[in-house]
Parts: sequence; structure tokens; C-alpha cells
Amino acid sequence: MKVYVVYCHPSDTSFTAAARNRALAGLKGNHEVRISDLYADGFVPELSAWERTNHLSPPDTKPGIAAYAENLRWCEALVFVYPTWWAGQPAMLKGWIDRVWVAGVAYELPEGANRIRPLLHNIRRLVVITSHGSSKLINSLEGEGGKRIVTRSLRVLCSKKARTKWIALYNIDTSSGATRAAHLDRVEKAMRELR
Amino acid sequence: MQVVVVLAHPNSDSFSHAIADRACVGLRGAGHEVQVLDLYGLGFRAAMSMADHVAYHGDHPAIDPIVAEHGALIKRADALVFVYPTWWSSLPAILKGWLERVMVPGIAFVFNDKGKVRPGLSNVRRIVGISTYGSPRAYVRLINDNGRRTLTRALRLNTGLRTRTAWLGLYAIDSATATQRNEFLDRVEQRMRSL
Repeated sequence: MKVYVVYCHPSDTSFTAAARNRALAGLKGNHEVRISDLYADGFVPELSAWERTNHLSPPDTKPGIAAYAENLRWCEALVFVYPTWWAGQPAMLKGWIDRVWVAGVAYELPEGANRIRPLLHNIRRLVVITSHGSSKLINSLEGEGGKRIVTRSLRVLCSKKARTKWIALYNIDTSSGATRAAHLDRVEKAMRELR
Repeated sequence: MQVVVVLAHPNSDSFSHAIADRACVGLRGAGHEVQVLDLYGLGFRAAMSMADHVAYHGDHPAIDPIVAEHGALIKRADALVFVYPTWWSSLPAILKGWLERVMVPGIAFVFNDKGKVRPGLSNVRRIVGISTYGSPRAYVRLINDNGRRTLTRALRLNTGLRTRTAWLGLYAIDSATATQRNEFLDRVEQRMRSL
């Protein structure tokens, strides 16, 4: 499978970085892999005034998104690796969605049509690998916004049969070494068995 | 009341800016003291940096002067009003990043002896969201309004359950007529006057 991993954490010694490493270990040899490291790329997450005004212009007119757009069109599985902050994706990753999933990449709005049409039919698996500071209960109370952005908002622009997988570690701040290790094992196994 | 209006739209001539202006007219008309934080206008940096991330776990998380200034403002605020366009069913990255960087330990919450999160913003009695949506209301319900959830649930857990929330949305904005837009602005002003 062609797998595109989008990794987002400022620190390379973080638990999220460890999860990314184990995900890549699981994917290696079994799948064709491309990875983007948004912080290392120095990605700019703020959608600009120009981008907002020209949001329906062709994607090749948009600065700094061509390589990401190419990877989105190439992959069959999209894997996000990030920490959940304030119930959702870090601003860096939210900005990547705001700026890269634009008209001509993720959807099109044909002349005269009143609703958008999906373009990322190639993506049939959406996977999120994340960790939460708070408990599962608190996350339900908060509404799991980050989860729903992926499983609903993004999924409707992928293949109609796209399946999603959520691999999360809750209560990370108080979790034991064994719990963390088990989570990392689960990440590697899920990636090895991805299909 | 002391009211902080947080505005997140890249275009200074946007409808969101018009909303913020009318919200201020209503609030000031009712005798409230208002401070507007125009995040794009202030050049607020959305992404939590490596330095921010390290400081987050230390004694002084707010290392950026603008973050410290905004933190001090919300500590004095009785009401927080958020004005933004909903993108990808959620907050624009710059507003998500504002939550991540300003709502840090010692400001929005504190960790108790057991490492549990306790609310730190009991001074905030009202949370108001005013947002515009490309999608019709039924679709927003179906896909979930994750920006709204983040502010009225996740943030509210840090202000206390006595905090009341209010939400004003203009749906299907692309097909809204000038009359509908003006009516919405009138509604915003009126609602803010009676806050």
C-alpha cells in the first residue's frame, strides 16, 4: 500500500516522535512510505489573506503546498501522528489542513454546482495515532473535535469506502511505562497489518 | 463587564471583521469595557514552537510577550467573545494556536498535587462564539461543529460549569443575501447589548 505519514510535533524526543518511529518501523518493508514532518519543514500554518481571497484558484497558484498535494493524490492510506491539544489537532496540523486541502486538491466546486465534490478517491484508509493528556471521559465531554474532523470532515472527501482507525493513548501524563510501551507496540502492529 | 473579543480572519475587510465591529458597538453601548485581539492584525504566531513546548512544563510557560499580555487580559476578563469563520468544521489554525499558546498552565488551568487539571479561569462567566459557515446548518450538525465544541465544552471545562455560553452562527454564507447578512449583524449587536 502507498502510505503517506503526516507527523506533527515540535520536539524530536517527544512521545509522539517515538510513536512515529514505531509506525515507520511497522510500515517498513510492508508498504511504500512517504512522510512529511511539518515542524521540520517550517510549514506556515496561517492561511493568508491572499489564499482566503483566492480560495477557489487552481492549487498550483498556492505557495508552498505542491509537494503535500502531490503526496495526498499519490497515497492510498493517510496516517496522522500528532498530540491532541485542546481536544484537537495542533494548530500546525490544523493549518496544514486549512492550506493544503483546498479546491483542486481535496475537492472541486464545478461551475454552477452548489456543493463540493470530493477529489481524493485514492485514499481508502485514514489513520490517526495520537495521545491525550486527559481521560477518555473528559475527551467525550469535550466532544472529540479532533477525531470528528478526520472521521467526518476529511473522510467525506476520500474514497466512499474509506475506513478510519483511531489509535489513541489517553491520560498520557499519568500513564505508566508499561502502558506507553503497550501503546507503541499497538502502533507498530497496526501499521504492519495496515491494508 | 470586562470583555475580550478574539478575532481570527486574515482579511481586514472580511465579514468576520464587520461582525467584530458590530459586537463591539453592542458591548460598548451596554457599558462594557472591550478589548479586541485581532490575531492576524497582531501577527500572532499560530504554531507552538519548540521553546514554547519546553516552557509549557516549566514555571513560566508564557515566554512570548504577546502571549503573556493576552494571558493577563483573559485573567481579568468576565466574558470571552470569539469571532471566526469555521474552516474544516473547526477553528482557523491561528485561533487554535492561540488556545494552545495562551491557555497554558497557570493561566487557563493548574495542575493539582495529583497532576490533575483544575480550572483556572473561574473569572470568565460568559463564553460567546460568533461564526460564519460555508455549509448549511443541517450539514454542520451532521458533520459536527467542532469549533463550537472546542470553545463551549473544552474551554468551558477550564472556566467552570457556571459559565454560560451563547452561540450565533451565519450558515451557508456564500449564498446569503445582503439582507440576511445585515440582519445577522443586527442580531449580533442586539445580542451583545443584552449580554
